[in-house]
Amino acid sequence: MLRSAGVVAMCSVAILAAAVAVIGFRSHGSEIPAYTLEGTVPALALRFAVTPLSAPFCALLAILTTAVALWCMRRGSPGEPLLIALFTAAMLLVLVARSAALFFFAWETMSLVSAFLVAAHHERRGVRRATFTYLVVAQTGALCVLVALTLLALAAGDTSFAGIAAHATRLSPGLRDTVFVFALLGFGSKAGLMPLHFWLPRAHPVAPASASAMLSGAMLKVALYGLLVVTLELAAPGPSWWGLALVAIGTISAVGGVLYALVDHDLKRLLAYHSVENVGIIVIGIGVALLARSAGSSALAGLALVAALFHTINHGLFKALLFLGAGTVNDVEGTVDLERLGGLWGELVWTAPFFLIGCVAITGLPPFNGFASEWLTFQSLVGGVSGGGPTVTFVFVAAIAGLALTGGLAAACFVKVFGVVFLGESRRLNARPAVRERFDASTMAVAFLAGLCIVLGVVPTLAVVPLAGVVGKTLGLVVITPQALPVLPATLVLLPLAGALLCVAMAARRRIRFVPTWTCGSPVTVAAQYTATAFSKPLRTIFAFVLLPERQRRYQMGSSRWLPERISYRTESRYVVDEGARHFAAVVLRFARRFRLVQSGSLRMYLAYALAALIVTVALAR
Amino acid sequence: MMQLLAQVVSIAVLAPLVQGVMKRLRANLQGRPGPSPLQPYRDLAKLLNKEALLPYGVSPIPLIAPGIVLGVAVTFASVLPIVAPNAMGSIVDIIALAFLLGLGRFALALAALDTRSSFAGMAASREMAFGSLVEPALLLALLGGAVLGRGTHLSFLLDAPFGLAGMLAFAAFFLVLLAETARVPIDNQETHYELTMIHEGLVLEYSGWQLAMLQYAGYIRQLCFLVLAAMLLPGGAEGWRHLPWILGLIGAVTVVETLFAKLRLFEVPQLFGTAFIFAVASIGLRVLGGLA
Repeated sequence: MLRSAGVVAMCSVAILAAAVAVIGFRSHGSEIPAYTLEGTVPALALRFAVTPLSAPFCALLAILTTAVALWCMRRGSPGEPLLIALFTAAMLLVLVARSAALFFFAWETMSLVSAFLVAAHHERRGVRRATFTYLVVAQTGALCVLVALTLLALAAGDTSFAGIAAHATRLSPGLRDTVFVFALLGFGSKAGLMPLHFWLPRAHPVAPASASAMLSGAMLKVALYGLLVVTLELAAPGPSWWGLALVAIGTISAVGGVLYALVDHDLKRLLAYHSVENVGIIVIGIGVALLARSAGSSALAGLALVAALFHTINHGLFKALLFLGAGTVNDVEGTVDLERLGGLWGELVWTAPFFLIGCVAITGLPPFNGFASEWLTFQSLVGGVSGGGPTVTFVFVAAIAGLALTGGLAAACFVKVFGVVFLGESRRLNARPAVRERFDASTMAVAFLAGLCIVLGVVPTLAVVPLAGVVGKTLGLVVITPQALPVLPATLVLLPLAGALLCVAMAARRRIRFVPTWTCGSPVTVAAQYTATAFSKPLRTIFAFVLLPERQRRYQMGSSRWLPERISYRTESRYVVDEGARHFAAVVLRFARRFRLVQSGSLRMYLAYALAALIVTVALAR
Repeated sequence: MMQLLAQVVSIAVLAPLVQGVMKRLRANLQGRPGPSPLQPYRDLAKLLNKEALLPYGVSPIPLIAPGIVLGVAVTFASVLPIVAPNAMGSIVDIIALAFLLGLGRFALALAALDTRSSFAGMAASREMAFGSLVEPALLLALLGGAVLGRGTHLSFLLDAPFGLAGMLAFAAFFLVLLAETARVPIDNQETHYELTMIHEGLVLEYSGWQLAMLQYAGYIRQLCFLVLAAMLLPGGAEGWRHLPWILGLIGAVTVVETLFAKLRLFEVPQLFGTAFIFAVASIGLRVLGGLA
């Protein structure tokens, strides 16, 4: 009952989001006012409106909510759908908020509801800690967003976004930069940009799969939307260093995210690190767009922003697909530890092929959607290399190299994920009878997302044309997309596909004989199968200067000195950023202890504080 | 269209010969008589007639992976700007090509992991690791013309000015070529020692016509890389004028294989680092030289 109610609520939100998206895509102007709730204080007026820029985000929200609702019909706990519906509604509210007060209210609602989602299994201590970390980051970030919006509103003397945007050109450079830094801190921490990403790999493994799909697929994107609104509209036009900074931060996030994903063997945490990576790729696109805009080359700006928006949608699709697939794996096996999984291809007969599509898509290989948007991002980077002095060249070449490295490392990582989880033999400790998956609502959800990954990959124009319209309306220019794009993915995979079919035909004509794996004559055992830790070993060693792996080998000797009975091997990476965050937290706590005096614990005292705060506010507001 | 077909067919026909010549040359340089240059054709014919074996319980991925790899190689052969104008080459640019090569690698590595063999798994792990390290150098070495605003198509390689920047780009790409064609000092095509195999390890479980497909794809890819490397050297706009360079490169690779020993596995990344630095320096020279 609870489940059905939640699913119905999710579907209603999805329909609403789709409607908003359609209005946004079809709009000609910059803003279609929908509703304004005037308060007694004009500064707190709540303005709802639809803009072209929010349309792609609303469309993504609609698609993901539908898919997750489908998945929730079959899997996950019954209470989840209702909470997710609320979460989605809050995100939609952020996207239609066009005044500072409403935006902040929606932003906070989104943060708090998502905290409840993360805390779904709050009976476990680790979950409570992860939720606390998330809340601290979310609230600090929200504070930064509040500062940025307040500064803008004060300067403009108006809290509506339209008013702020109208005043944007008259901002002083110092104020503009301050706003940018606060917006970057606030939105960047929510989006999971390095080095403020550390909450992500903590929150995702403990949140239910459906919640992870929404958090990673949609909420990170809403944060990017916030960044776009501030940089393209409210505080535009920015100086060129904004774009450069974003390209640099994006590259660091992309490479760093994928490196940590590579050595992680918790499937959901690994996917969380890949979110850091992909947000990095999106931010590279945004950075190029800002830089090109400040340099006056509008064609490049349009292309880069289309690439960023396209990758935003694509990442939402395949990341939700992968998280839902991971949820199914968790349901079936009771674990997402890569060292305990394997051979699920034969059991999850539906989820496995769709999960493979997700893996190939997120790696950016043709003909899936990730390829089209990463290719566009590369194009925009190459187009901008020689456009503005040595610093720009240096950063852009680093970004091209970083993006290429990221692509290769992501491929390595997803070969590991798919090869270890779905292929080969199972590594589970306790044998259980094999179950063959049936096609149901949860597999339909993954199939739906996988289908979209294929369609948007093979026919990228389906997404690129509307996105080009959005970018054109937002930036006031005509976007020219590369001529080759519509036919490129199909051209690339035509012959490989033909080759695959040739193999199938050959196998049908001349039977393939099945034999035991060659193991140099020794018996075939599961223990000989390559594990995830073993697979990532070369890259762990090569990137030891970033990952700082520490290993532990323990021998348990038997009767002979030379033949140990048991060898245990453990390896762990040191997370520099996390350690830094912990030190910072310790400093803050030490500082906070000085204010303990005011925490008397007496209720009357707290009431007095509240009254004093009220009096001060009223006095200031007059 | 006919010209394009002729290009692909001639690369496909000549690729095994190039492999045979390189093998013969290497043997002669090492003081051995070596097999006939036509031996690869005979090997392929022999393998094609043999039955294919696969391990028990594999998914369809190892079945179709050889076809994907072969398709990738033939696509690679079709986009080279040897004939002009090249319809395929005007669609598939350098960046897309890098992704395409990644697709073949991805399919083969998954197939290797599915075979449950530790050797194949080890090879897959190394191949993916080195593949990801090669990619930045590969892209940056080829993008020299693109950063000058000429566009990202392979045909623009032909009229990129040479000079110091061109030499650096070529040096970077030569190292990439050694890695991508599984040559000493990075890999060894003739190894029979499972623990040192990279590319040979990946295909360890393959046999019969499937192995023939994979080997043939390897030959085609090798010739394509040689052609691309030759195009980074100064020459006319017409692709076939690079033929002397291709022959020179065949000799150069063989000499490198004879003079050098295989590097220790974890020293290979330093080689890729060198290639990367060369490529970055070449781009830097081109862009900043163009600005000044």
